[in-house]
Amino acid sequence: MIEIARNVDPDYRAQFEAVPTADPRMETLRQLLVSREISELSRVTHLLNEPEQLAAAVGDVLPGAAARAPHSQLGEALAPAVERAVQRSIQKSPRTLTDILYPVFLPAIRKSIGEKIDQTFQSLNETLRHIFTWHGLKWRLEAWRTGASFSEVVLKHSLVYRVEHAFLIHRNSGLLIAHVTADNATSEDPQLISSMLSAIQDFVKDSFNEKEQSGLDTIRFGDLRLWSEVGPSATLVSVIRGNPPEELHEIVRDVLLRIHEGSSQALVDFDGDSSQLAGVEAQLQTCVELKQEGSNAGFPWLVAASALLLLSLAGGWFFLSWQSGQRWQTYVSRLETEPGIIVAEQHVSGGQFYIAGLRDPLAADPQSLLSGTEVDPAQVHSQWQFYQSLEPEFVLKRLTASLAPPETVRLSIVNDRIIAEGEAPESWIDRARVAAQQLSAGGPVFDISGVRDVSPEVREAERWQAYVSRLETQLGIVVAEQKIRDGQFYIAGLRDPLGTDPQSLLSGTQVDPARVHSQWQFYQSLEPEFVLKRLTASLYPPDTVRLSIVNDRIVAEGEAPDTWIDRARAAARQLSAGGPEFDISKVRDVSPEARAAEHWQYYVSRLEAQPGIIVAQQTVRGGHFYISGLRDPLAADPQALLSGTKVDPARVHSQWQFYQSLDPKFVVKRLTASLTPPKSVQLSIIQGRIVVVGEAPANWINRARAAAEQLSADGVVLDVSQLRELDLVELNHLRQAIQTTDIFFSSGKVVPGPEQMPVLDRLADQIKEFAQSARKSGVTARFMLTGHSDATGRETANASISAARAEAVRALLNKRGVAPELLLVRGAGTFEPAVPENSQAGSSTNRRVSITVNLD
Amino acid sequence: MLQKKICMVGGFAVGKTSLVRRFVQSIFSETYLTTVGVKIDKKSVALPDKTVDLILWDLAGEDDIGSFRVSYVRGATGLVLVVDGTRAATLAVALTLRERVEAEFGAMPFVLLFNKSDLADRWAISDGEINELRQRGWQIYLTSALSGEQVDDAFRQLALMVTK
Repeated sequence: MIEIARNVDPDYRAQFEAVPTADPRMETLRQLLVSREISELSRVTHLLNEPEQLAAAVGDVLPGAAARAPHSQLGEALAPAVERAVQRSIQKSPRTLTDILYPVFLPAIRKSIGEKIDQTFQSLNETLRHIFTWHGLKWRLEAWRTGASFSEVVLKHSLVYRVEHAFLIHRNSGLLIAHVTADNATSEDPQLISSMLSAIQDFVKDSFNEKEQSGLDTIRFGDLRLWSEVGPSATLVSVIRGNPPEELHEIVRDVLLRIHEGSSQALVDFDGDSSQLAGVEAQLQTCVELKQEGSNAGFPWLVAASALLLLSLAGGWFFLSWQSGQRWQTYVSRLETEPGIIVAEQHVSGGQFYIAGLRDPLAADPQSLLSGTEVDPAQVHSQWQFYQSLEPEFVLKRLTASLAPPETVRLSIVNDRIIAEGEAPESWIDRARVAAQQLSAGGPVFDISGVRDVSPEVREAERWQAYVSRLETQLGIVVAEQKIRDGQFYIAGLRDPLGTDPQSLLSGTQVDPARVHSQWQFYQSLEPEFVLKRLTASLYPPDTVRLSIVNDRIVAEGEAPDTWIDRARAAARQLSAGGPEFDISKVRDVSPEARAAEHWQYYVSRLEAQPGIIVAQQTVRGGHFYISGLRDPLAADPQALLSGTKVDPARVHSQWQFYQSLDPKFVVKRLTASLTPPKSVQLSIIQGRIVVVGEAPANWINRARAAAEQLSADGVVLDVSQLRELDLVELNHLRQAIQTTDIFFSSGKVVPGPEQMPVLDRLADQIKEFAQSARKSGVTARFMLTGHSDATGRETANASISAARAEAVRALLNKRGVAPELLLVRGAGTFEPAVPENSQAGSSTNRRVSITVNLD
Repeated sequence: MLQKKICMVGGFAVGKTSLVRRFVQSIFSETYLTTVGVKIDKKSVALPDKTVDLILWDLAGEDDIGSFRVSYVRGATGLVLVVDGTRAATLAVALTLRERVEAEFGAMPFVLLFNKSDLADRWAISDGEINELRQRGWQIYLTSALSGEQVDDAFRQLALMVTK
């Protein structure tokens, strides 16, 4: 136990120093009892003694421990250390902390500076505007008196505004929390407006990818501004009419701040029920009470007004009495110049005005002339006697009233004489003459010599004549006789039914239709216009015929069936006596048969123009079409050419013999089909000769040469002289490599042994590469796999074993990705030995598959 | 004053605007839909014990779900999902839009309107499909902006759900 105690705590070691330590039995016992605990203990001790390891262990648990610690205590415990750390960091490098806080401070600073600058500009603007005005002087005085700066006074007077609405809007949902309105201000539904405002905020934020916490600051529409202040839970939008000072921002922000302070939890919990936030409205009310009106105060108006009143009273009386005397004299002189008024006497006494004289009843009323002179009518005492003025104006007025001249008479004054002009009935002229005689003594001359005597009958007769002459100029109307008797009008004559109705021409002539008696005989006018109308109505010309008038002749042009032409000809004959000529010589006779024959001829000529088609014979008989000839199978189909020609296919009877056209175009088509030229070869026709240009494998060139020889017998030139043998130099090496490869087999086996697999792998790669390169050059490479056997055994068995070996190699190559259609297979048996067969070694060399490369 | 923000959500031309035009109070013109992408209307619903103003955000219909402005839904307490009953594809659009909204703002009450119920001959949604959706406890209405059928019922139901 002592030993254990000694090991657990070093202090005990000293106390038990006397006890012998090196007792081997103790040691054994110790090992038996507590060896595990000792090792564990020494690990922990070691951990505590080594600062680095201890730090690592504490670091592992520190974040968890901090998270679990009570927050207030942890905060207090950490605060001094954090403060010191921040202090130290700033001393060391202020930049680090600045960078960290930059995104937090920047928006606030930016906004504050922005407002300050706006404020300065506003102040500067207003100051400049008012600096040299009368207001400016007044305000300078006020600034001096109150000790405020001049610009402050200017802003106070010039910024006239009123906050009309204040909306408090829940920031998250856009719902309206409260809304107050200034007196007399109106708006649409505030709930909808608040939601739309926040939608527009979202819209702008989304559209321009704005991440900042703040929203739209200002919306301006003419005289109206919307200012929005964004708080943590609510936005305060104030609607301001006029020109608000920038400081208003701060005032509104203060209101928003107070609302947030007072009801922060209610704002966070707001779910559309604004009854929880009833108190907010009172705070908002302070916003809408904000206004600055055009100020009139400051100037002692009352004092100024009373001083002015005293002055006026002092000077006013003298001025007024002088002024009213002046006004009276103006009025009197105006009366004196007025025609029909004669002022006999006038005087002023005791502030009253007296006037007497003569006036014509038709002259202006002296009383009414007073208005506008500012003379008080109550102070005027008038005495007027009526008289008749002989001035021409008044005589004219009296004559107009007494004679009542008809509308056709005009009265006027020329050189003090009254002149009547126009037309009037006899009775009026008589009355005017009497009046003129009465006037002669002393008055102006009344001249009625310019008035014509016009009786209604005369006027009606004139109108009738106008109507008759109008009728006479009409085409298709012939007036034979007309007269007037007892106020009735009689007319007789001829009219064409296609001409204008004489009755309808009456309208607008002012002739009474009831008094017109007409007798019209119908006749056919031979005027070309009428004849054309009649012909059009009777002949019904088809759409293809056009009728027109050329130099008084009626001309028909176009195409028509012969039946119509016959009818037109008969009509032309009937017309001949006295009427205009009807010329139908320009109408072509078009019978259906003629038209069908035309279509047929068009079709035949189309066929004849076709290469590879030779028309031998064609006839039209009994409405049917017969055609025979030769056609190249590669030429266009004559049947297909029928479409669009309007020839009825059912009536066409064709007999076509096939032939090979020697037209170079067809020869080229045939050659292309039979020779299948590689892509590197081009066939073209140059001046009737077929020229082959390009590169091709040797065997293809040989086939082309053979074709050229055959064609030359038919007189067609196929020029192969420009063909070059395909240059496959780069492939020759590969071809050599492929062709020298052999796959060997064990005796009697048709599948090559495992040692041949690398050979097959290499071979497959070479074949693929070769085939691909050949394809690029436009030729197809094919590989012949020939199987061989040794000479032991029966010949038939050897033949089949050789073929089977070739098949096996084909399968193995195919497995290695070689396209099977490129591989040809044949068995050669013992007939093509690689070495003469006389030894064991020879046999194994001959058991093989060899490869040859062909290009085509 | 009790108000709730409600979003009308659905594909292109399913008839949201027509539903709104006939049954609610509106001061903004429909050009807001194409310019700002949203139009706000109000529907007052009288419930037995109170009246609630539904502030309806009519979001511009998009068949391209990617361009749906999900930020307009922030703060909403309910959805009106509108499907064109004559175009089966609009059901999938409405359900996808709802999923997007729920992913962003969590689950919220909704009513599902199959609109254009007056076009019976071109109806493209089977009764089985509608019953299956009803089995999930969803509130479904077959509405017609033309005849007004069930429109008021749907808004009343939604008002009940969001004021619970």
